[in-house]
Amino acid sequence: MNERPYECRGVTPAALTRRELLRTVSAGFGWLAFKSLTTAASAAESRNPLAPKAPHFPARAKRVIFLCMQGGPAHMDTFDYKPKLTEDDGKPGVAKGGGSKLYGSPFKFEQRGQSGLWISELFPKVAEHADELCLLRGMNTDIPNHPQAFIQLHTGSAQFARPSMGAWALYGLGTANENLPGFVTISPPIQFGAQNYGSAFLPAVYQGTRLGAQRADVGSASISNMRNPELSTELQRKQIDLVQSMNRDLLATTANPEVEGVIESYELAFRMQAELPKVMDLSKESPATLASYGIGSGPAGEFGRQCLMARRFAEAGVRFIEVCHAGWDQHQQLQSKLTANCAATDQPIAALLTDLKARGLLEDTLVMWGGEFGRTPDGRRPDGRDHNAKGYTMWLAGGGVRGGLSYGGTDDYGYKAVEDPVHTHDLHATILALLGLDHEKLTYRYAGRDFRLTDVHGTVAKAIFT
Amino acid sequence: MLMSPSSIRVFLPLVALFGLTQATWAALQPAPPVDPQVDPAQVEFFEKRIRPVLADKCYKCHSSEATKVKGGLLLDTREGIRNGGDTGPAVVPGNAKESLLLKAIHWQDKDLRMPPEKDGGKLPDNVIADFEKWIAMGAPDPRGAGTKVARREMDLTKAKKLWTFQTPQAAPVPAVKDTAWPKSDVDRFLLAAQEAKGLHPVADADRPTLLRRVYFDLIGLPPTPAQIEAFVKDKSPYALAKVVDVLLASPQFGERWGRHWLDTARYAESTGKERNFTFPEAWRYRDWVIAAFNADKPYNQFIVEQIAGDLLPAKNAAEHDQNILATGFLAVGTKGLNEKNKEIFKMDVVDDQIDTTSRAVLGLTVACARCHDHKFDPIPTKDYYALAGIFRSTTTYYGTNGPGGAAKNRNASTLIALTPPAGTEKTAGAVKPPPPAAPATAATPPVATAALVPASPAPAPAAPATSPAAAAPAQVAEAQPQLPPMIANNPAMAERFAKLPPKKREQLLARFGKAGPQIGAAAPAPAPSAVAPAPAPEAVPSPAPASTITAPSLPAFIANDPEKAKKFAALPASRREAFLAKFANDGKPKFAGKQGAQTTPDAGETTGPKAMGVADGYVSDAAILIRGEVEGRGAVVPRGVVSVLTMGEAPAMPAKSSGRLELAQWLTAPENPLTARVMVNRVWQHLFGEGIVRTADNFGATGEEPTNAALLDTLALQFMRDSWSVKKLIRSLVLTRTYQLGGAPDARGAEIDPDNRLLWHASSRRLDAEAIRDAMLVASGKIDLRPLEGSVVAKTGDGYIGRGIRPETFTNVNATYRSVYLPIVRDFVPEALDIFDFAEPSLVVATRDVTNVPVQALYLLNNSFVREQASAMARHILAQPLSQTQRITLAYQTALSRLPTDAERARAEQYLIDEAAGLAAVIKGGKAEDAAALSWSTFCQALFASAEFRYLK
Repeated sequence: MNERPYECRGVTPAALTRRELLRTVSAGFGWLAFKSLTTAASAAESRNPLAPKAPHFPARAKRVIFLCMQGGPAHMDTFDYKPKLTEDDGKPGVAKGGGSKLYGSPFKFEQRGQSGLWISELFPKVAEHADELCLLRGMNTDIPNHPQAFIQLHTGSAQFARPSMGAWALYGLGTANENLPGFVTISPPIQFGAQNYGSAFLPAVYQGTRLGAQRADVGSASISNMRNPELSTELQRKQIDLVQSMNRDLLATTANPEVEGVIESYELAFRMQAELPKVMDLSKESPATLASYGIGSGPAGEFGRQCLMARRFAEAGVRFIEVCHAGWDQHQQLQSKLTANCAATDQPIAALLTDLKARGLLEDTLVMWGGEFGRTPDGRRPDGRDHNAKGYTMWLAGGGVRGGLSYGGTDDYGYKAVEDPVHTHDLHATILALLGLDHEKLTYRYAGRDFRLTDVHGTVAKAIFT
Repeated sequence: MLMSPSSIRVFLPLVALFGLTQATWAALQPAPPVDPQVDPAQVEFFEKRIRPVLADKCYKCHSSEATKVKGGLLLDTREGIRNGGDTGPAVVPGNAKESLLLKAIHWQDKDLRMPPEKDGGKLPDNVIADFEKWIAMGAPDPRGAGTKVARREMDLTKAKKLWTFQTPQAAPVPAVKDTAWPKSDVDRFLLAAQEAKGLHPVADADRPTLLRRVYFDLIGLPPTPAQIEAFVKDKSPYALAKVVDVLLASPQFGERWGRHWLDTARYAESTGKERNFTFPEAWRYRDWVIAAFNADKPYNQFIVEQIAGDLLPAKNAAEHDQNILATGFLAVGTKGLNEKNKEIFKMDVVDDQIDTTSRAVLGLTVACARCHDHKFDPIPTKDYYALAGIFRSTTTYYGTNGPGGAAKNRNASTLIALTPPAGTEKTAGAVKPPPPAAPATAATPPVATAALVPASPAPAPAAPATSPAAAAPAQVAEAQPQLPPMIANNPAMAERFAKLPPKKREQLLARFGKAGPQIGAAAPAPAPSAVAPAPAPEAVPSPAPASTITAPSLPAFIANDPEKAKKFAALPASRREAFLAKFANDGKPKFAGKQGAQTTPDAGETTGPKAMGVADGYVSDAAILIRGEVEGRGAVVPRGVVSVLTMGEAPAMPAKSSGRLELAQWLTAPENPLTARVMVNRVWQHLFGEGIVRTADNFGATGEEPTNAALLDTLALQFMRDSWSVKKLIRSLVLTRTYQLGGAPDARGAEIDPDNRLLWHASSRRLDAEAIRDAMLVASGKIDLRPLEGSVVAKTGDGYIGRGIRPETFTNVNATYRSVYLPIVRDFVPEALDIFDFAEPSLVVATRDVTNVPVQALYLLNNSFVREQASAMARHILAQPLSQTQRITLAYQTALSRLPTDAERARAEQYLIDEAAGLAAVIKGGKAEDAAALSWSTFCQALFASAEFRYLK
């Protein structure tokens, strides 16, 4: 708590506001023609804010799938092997107020793959991908409270309304498929707010599109306003044609370039409403694929559908996809509940990695797993662990990270990151770097200041790059 | 002798307990360390072990020889090392913990690691040990004490040279070549700048375009076809002035312009952040703002009431209530209810108040200085903490203590009790608001006295025959003298009205009479004497007589009982402060609602109406928090204001009240270089698309310079001379010829000024979200122009959104009232607003984004609300005994405020034939009338969906 970072509100000044630029979603011929008549503004300036943009340097990953485990998974029971903790099980812990006891992991660990990463028995199928995984075992963040840590994980700041990392990624790179939202979040927890996938001061075009919600069946999730129940596609097209002819008339008489943006938005919308339901429709997937994700029966069905949908979005060119699995907050009943969580997620995650690899997507898709913090090695309640922001584990796979690597580490018990610590800000800097973006250069001018995802912090963990 | 930060914290309230004065207590602050008698052995230690390291590792960036001194820190003198830099003293003799230099060389803190990696990185452990030893022995330092003032002080004199920090200067009206063109001095300023570049304004806009522009700009609603027709026919040179005066006097004006202010006031009805709790009483502040704009409350007074309403004398309980409602401004910000540390929570609330006040009123981001001196603007950290002292001495009442999930709320507050309306016994949450102090009927149409107002055509206010307000009714009331034009001119409404039982009709008409003029309504011409006397700027309400405020002292029941006093003294500081805040300065429990009451208690369990707002709390100066962290307590700074903006004497801060009133008066003093300019610029922006300073939320060094500085200053001065009347300002701008220009640029002008910075044509502007939704409701005839009492959030009551309260309650509201009354819950803004770039309610927003994105298209094509409005409009049009061609004309007039061209008529006719044929084939039963009705509905929807519907030409 002493290291609570107050976000810096002032950073380097930059040249121009991009507001005017962003007023028009598209730069069609009319706009360009008008501009060339009137000003020497470069064509690049009048670009669509969602059009693909060149990264700052060659990218290792083109897109991100974030497997968000809300609640704070216990690292010492999953990916952070702590034999000393097992050895000292039952000895006094260090929790404030006293009375806590060290709790050795009740789960067995084994070295897996060529790389010999230690992975717990809770993730047997993910463990088969050990050589793809890059374990970040020195993770740490500022605040051991769910809401703040969760929002800091997503936006970098627990204190102010800031854009989420998906919005920053989309702002930095644009989208590869304009017929779909560029940033999708599947089943986010509602009570922590839309800010986790919001765009804050970035234009709304960069905000995440929410599909479904926690505790709701993602199979029935839909995006609002995707269908007009009164009109067939054909008749709606006629209606759009009428709208567009009116718009073209207006463009001709006013030379207002924003009208060009309106025209383009209708064409995109028309295509989007055709394409999105297709991407979300899992019925065309083979029975074998569905089974591999655990869809059908069994505990992994719901998360399996989310992961499969994530793969479909990735394949279709969505820039940033988040799927969320809640309920990792084991203050008690650790053994049964953690086991259940892992049973619900192990197979889908493994299937996602297999599937991405088989389709040649894993090499440029960054898969990221983890929660807002980890858990304490000791606890006052039997079979429980409390919040721990000082040390925990997340892992990355694909997208230009070294597989089979364990990077950083906590002390013997898993209390605190002591080796190659990676703070939330560092994680953000690293993700952006993998996407080819310099976290110090990806800025947005708001209220006279240039803001970044990493505020004034962030060190890229270059050692994990391939 | 030195106190640790925690002991200082504990100490503060004890001082208060014994009733010590500010001065004595300042004397109790740790004194600057006295020069130690330097012992030769210690000197040797310094010279051998310390100085060489400093010289080798630090002087490069931290000495008078450095090319660029980093962090304002000089280490080459004794004074420098002890005074420290931006973040505080580098060395505190004898105190390792407070010595930032030790922290830095230990590399404990990720953000403070010295020497940096590139200069060799962390020092060897033995060297670090030497520094620890040296500081422990009192940091003996034989170097000269006065060689150089080490601390970098901001050079305010130099900083004041930026135009922003200079008082606005009157400028002579420039001469123009085309003397026939301008209608006002504003036009002359603009035309002169255009002529200098070889530009000339384009032709004036056509009448319907102009009327649509002025309706949306002033009241956020479109004109009805009848109003357009009347305006087109009115050949009087005062035609526009008449319309403008009617619109300014209508209650819809405040709903439009009040909402602009709510954007900058980051108004919302929930806490936002990680635990989003409702603010069921926030709407009272919303209504106060709307009423203030309708009453044309002088802008300086508007600001003073919002920052210090609770400290103003009030004539009666109702006025006191209004003043309390105004302070909702300080209370409706985001709240991090999950914060465990009370001090952090408090300083976050203070930060929100400083940030919002400084940005909304001054257009400056003072809050940068929370952690370090402002990087670009001359605002040092001590200014921030001077302001922080004022707000820290204030208690903020924001509620969230209701039964809805209080267990998840670590920082619940209460509310302020308002006077219950006489004879009413209503429960909280559904109460009728007390009548606004200045209801819309008090609105005073501005008069044309200002020098900037068009000289020739404006009618003299005293001449009743040509008085705009008097003339207007004659124009519009001819058709149906009995009906308010709002109804008379709207066929759908007239139809509904006609169907009402006679009694209802009477009631309705009676209400129109009382509620003041509606749009285009027959407003009685105010007698010139009814124009509110303009208070001179110095006539800002003065603080209450000193006798009503006494020293904070312990309540008698504690003071007189040694046992209790002892127990009280043993409480943690924050609890003592919170407790004391419940008592007035005379030690008696606070009470509210009484005439002239200066302080207001929390509402506790009372059931009458309650408000969000503030009251003075425990008054004290604040300490600088190093890097903004509550653990990093630095020097105590006297309460005060932003130094660079202070011309002459800084206001003296009262010892016994927070200083908010002094702050508010300082903000609105005529010498303040920013307040008037910032407001004038915002009004300009709302009328012309871009501000004269295009960075409307940033008047600092990184903002843009004004495109016409002389004009901005002239307007600011005029605004103050006109008693800060927003209505007069708007009137003067709308009646310029520039406002009335056509929209299409010509090729030659586009060559010279493609961005239209010189305003030689009207810029196309997209309507904001509220206007788009309201315009659909007007077209459908469904709009309910009655102000909403309360809000969906008030009905919902206290609670935690996402747990027990479904977000859809707020995002999907099916209502026909004006958009300004939709619930504004942080993170769950209604879809209709969110999609069209509504202001993010967690942030101060001076300029909304304008985007054109597919989700908007999908909304207009598919959303059920849009389809319902289109269908209602179609039904109404089809019910008229008109030909198909006439119906198309009516549809264009209704939705786009203009007649269709022949080509457009033909295209529409063809569309209706094709679509009806297509629909007949697919709809159930295939009845031709159904297909025709639905095709008409899709046609009306296409009009809503067109770019023209959401753009002003």
